[in-house]
Amino acid sequence: MPIHTPGRRLLHEIPLKFVHDKVSGGGRRSVDASIALIPFIDFLVTLVVFLLSSFSASGELLAQRQGLIMPEASNAVDLEIAPIISIDSQVVMLDNRRMADTGDLMASHNLERIEPLVQDLDTLHRNWSILHPRDQFTGTVIMQADRGVDFLVIKKVMFSAAQAGYTNISFAVNRGGGGGGGGGE
Amino acid sequence: MGGIAVGGGGHGGKKSVDSEIPLIPFIDLLLCCVMFLLVTAVWNKLARIDANQQQPGREAQLDQPPEEHIRLYLQVKNAGYVLAGTDGTNIEIQKAGDTYDIEGLREKLRDRRQQEPNRRDLIVAPEDGVLYSDVVAAMDEVVGAGFQDMSLSDGANL
Repeated sequence: MPIHTPGRRLLHEIPLKFVHDKVSGGGRRSVDASIALIPFIDFLVTLVVFLLSSFSASGELLAQRQGLIMPEASNAVDLEIAPIISIDSQVVMLDNRRMADTGDLMASHNLERIEPLVQDLDTLHRNWSILHPRDQFTGTVIMQADRGVDFLVIKKVMFSAAQAGYTNISFAVNRGGGGGGGGGE
Repeated sequence: MGGIAVGGGGHGGKKSVDSEIPLIPFIDLLLCCVMFLLVTAVWNKLARIDANQQQPGREAQLDQPPEEHIRLYLQVKNAGYVLAGTDGTNIEIQKAGDTYDIEGLREKLRDRRQQEPNRRDLIVAPEDGVLYSDVVAAMDEVVGAGFQDMSLSDGANL
């Protein structure tokens, strides 16, 4: 009997074609891919940690409106719930209800009331005591204005708010870095 | 089921002290956390600067006696800042080119704070024509200098 180079012997007795193909050195590459679970878990844990660090229990009190870019400030404190007056280059709105046109307010330099704004704020003021019988009325209103708005418009809005009893103004800003020393509350 | 088994099996007939960590439920938990946090995430870092109004309102107190307290004003004019007081102080901080001199204002506010460490009130009085961003920048510096009881008034009335 001639001497031949020994070939593959293992598992040749198994009567399955794919086993035979595999152990013979041939066969197709497996189309199955194993999922690396450990790196996937690492990724999810990192994502959870990042999202937890930016979690805010108070939620989103103000929505960023298109066309309204607020100025930045570094010495600012967290927002609280209050009626929101938003002012951009086109319109003045109270809680997303149109009160006046910015162009009309710019036309006159006289300090005048914005009647719809005064009436709506007055209604909110009267409703406050009904809705919050045990809380003291703070007279706070949030002003969300575009950075390019003239102070004349701001002044008229503030005057109207004061007429309705809202004498404390919270100017909404984007929290920015840098700035001077000291610091807010 | 995916899991991790640490170490070898028990020796002889002893019960193994290792336990598998079930990875699939852990991944489900992490995915639920991620979805909840994505829905509740606040991407905009918004804040506020508080100011009182120094103008006649509905609740103006007419019977209040005149105050002898020295008032300190920061006028924001189109030409620059003016730090003035009822004690005769009048410090002008001109614009640096077309922009307001924030550094100069910060320095003057810091000096004033050193002169009166107990003072917390200051009235910011912008003129008509000043942009809102410049008003906020001035108010930011005022609060940063330690004048927490900031008020806002009309510069035209001064």
